[in-house]
Parts: sequence; C-alpha cells; structure tokens
Amino acid sequence: MTESTLILFALAGIGLIIAWRRGDGSARRSTEAGWSTFKRTLPLLIVAFIIVGYVNALEPQAFVRTWIGPDSGLRGILIGSIAGILLPGGPYVVFPLIATLYSSGAGMGPTLSMITSWAALALLSVSFELPFLGWRFTLIRFGLGLIVPVLVGAGGMLLSG
Amino acid sequence: MKLLNEHPSNTASLDLPCSTSALTIVPMRLPKIDRTTLLLVIVALFLAGVAWVRGGNALALKGLEIGARTLLSVTPLLVAAFLVAGLTQVLISKQMVERWLSASSGLRGILLACVAGALIPGGPYVYYPIAGSLLSSGAGLGVLIAFITAKNLWSISRLPYEFALLGPTLTITRFCFTFVIPPLLGLAAELLFGRYIENIRAAVQ
Repeated sequence: MTESTLILFALAGIGLIIAWRRGDGSARRSTEAGWSTFKRTLPLLIVAFIIVGYVNALEPQAFVRTWIGPDSGLRGILIGSIAGILLPGGPYVVFPLIATLYSSGAGMGPTLSMITSWAALALLSVSFELPFLGWRFTLIRFGLGLIVPVLVGAGGMLLSG
Repeated sequence: MKLLNEHPSNTASLDLPCSTSALTIVPMRLPKIDRTTLLLVIVALFLAGVAWVRGGNALALKGLEIGARTLLSVTPLLVAAFLVAGLTQVLISKQMVERWLSASSGLRGILLACVAGALIPGGPYVYYPIAGSLLSSGAGLGVLIAFITAKNLWSISRLPYEFALLGPTLTITRFCFTFVIPPLLGLAAELLFGRYIENIRAAVQ
C-alpha cells in the first residue's frame, strides 16, 4: 500500500500547488475542508474499524467463501448486489468493510457488485433523492440501475477466471 | 440561543440581562448522533458480543486490537485522501458545475452532465439539491439521470478514499467496468421514459 500512499500524496501536492497559485486562500481553505471532513467522520471511522477488527477476529473465511467466494456464481453476485444496496454510511465506512470481506476470501465478482451497488443504489441516499426529485424519478433510476451491479459482477467473475 | 448550559458557572459568566436568560427555555441538547452512526454502533456491539461468547475476553480484545491496528495502518493514506477530497471541494465550485449544465440538452447535455457529476464534490446533501434546482430550471430526464449516476460512479472526490481503502486493483477495475454506465443510463432513461419528465417536475414543485 505504500505506492498508493505516494500516489495520493503526489496528487495532494499537485492540487495544493494549483490552489496556491490562485493566491486567494484556496490552499488554506482546502486543508480546512479536509480537516473538517476528517473531524466530522472520525467517530464513524473508529466505529467502522472496530467492526472491521471484529469481522477479522471472528475469522469469517469459510462463511465468506461459501456465500460470496470466487465460486459462488450468480448467487454470490446477487448477494453482493443486495448487500451493497443495504450498506449504510459513506465511503470511509463502507470501503474498509468491503476490503475486509475481500481479504477474507470474497470473489472479485461479488466484491465489485457490492461496491457498484452501494455506489449507485445505496438505499440511504434515496432518502435525500425523494424530496428533491420525487418517487417517479427514483423508480426510473433505480429500475434501470438494478442491472448494473449484476453486469459488473459478472465481468469481474470472468476477469478473475 | 445557547444560553442555559448544563454547567451553572457558564450562566453566571454570561454578560446578559438576567431576564433574557431566565425567560428563555432551552431544550436539553444531547450529542447529535445520526442514524448511520447508531446503526454501526449496534453492529459493532453485536459483533463484540459474538466474539465474547465465542472466545471470551481474549477474542473480544483481539477484535479491538485488529481494528486499531488496521486503522493506524491506513491513517497516512486517509490523511492524503482527506486532503485530496478537500482540494476538489475548493477547486471545483458548485457554480461552475451549474453554469456548465444549464441550457444543455440531448446527447451533448447528457455527456456534459456526466462530466459535471464526476467533478462535483460532496455527499447526497449537496448534489441532490443541485439536481433539484436543475429539474426546476428545465433539465431533461436523461441529463438528471446521467448527472446522478456519474456522481455515483465517476466521482473524483470519492476515488481517493476508494483507492486508499480498497487498493488500486479493485478501484481501477471497478472504475473501468462502470465507465460507460452514466452516459448509457442517461440515454436509456431519456429514450424510454423521457416523456414523463413534466410529471416528475410537476410532482416536485
């Protein structure tokens, strides 16, 4: 993971230079925005990583492989897709959990389905959608979108062989 | 009005007319815990219980220890991710995205909406109000679906977290696989259901 750290810090460096050159306090506001997001999400992060710790400690490998392992086929993809819809919270909560499942033996296909369905169809964000766009809109978006995580999962399964 | 705090010394130190503070009834403020946090705390407690039943104190502590160690190991990545996300928030303004999107329609509009969705930072409480204002200013169904789907699948402010926490392999594979989805979904929605946009607009306003 050290390469990822380097890449992200390089991106942050480039961004800071761009912000700095604007000369309007953008650089300071960026770090403040990052810091305030961090403070706001810290309690969530801690709880999320406690869950990650327990999922690891309970050694779910056999359970994970059975339901969403590399050989779980279409059933695994469907379970991954439904789990993704139901996963609560932002990226800093959901991604560590999915990473734990993946390292415990979840297949590439079901894992990709879970990420995609959480991103595109998370039930929690629908509660924001309804007041602004109405149920007809949600119905159309959700209905058309349902197939996406399944297709992505099938692609992942083919890719990983 | 944050006048009556739980500690009596706070009220005493306030330099305000006594009548104001005496007549204002301020409800007790509990620390604000949103539903997501509450749900996650319940899940964590449940898992801790399962660990304790299965392996006693040793396993219950082991879970906490693994959690702390994992969090520490991703901390440098998270710091960088929060910094990059903060930068996208400041460098790309809402006004910029809204200006781009107003008065665009058809395939060009759908593609522009995808780019705008990818660029716009912030959670659902940011982009849904924007989508709502686009709807009331006359945007088509395809444009709106493309905007939200691109926000969900292309979002550049979420990518740093995905990269940091899921690793490059899953992130890049997921991104490539879903790359064509936002414009395709926008186009499909426009062709299949585009005629309902006036009903949608009327229902929300």
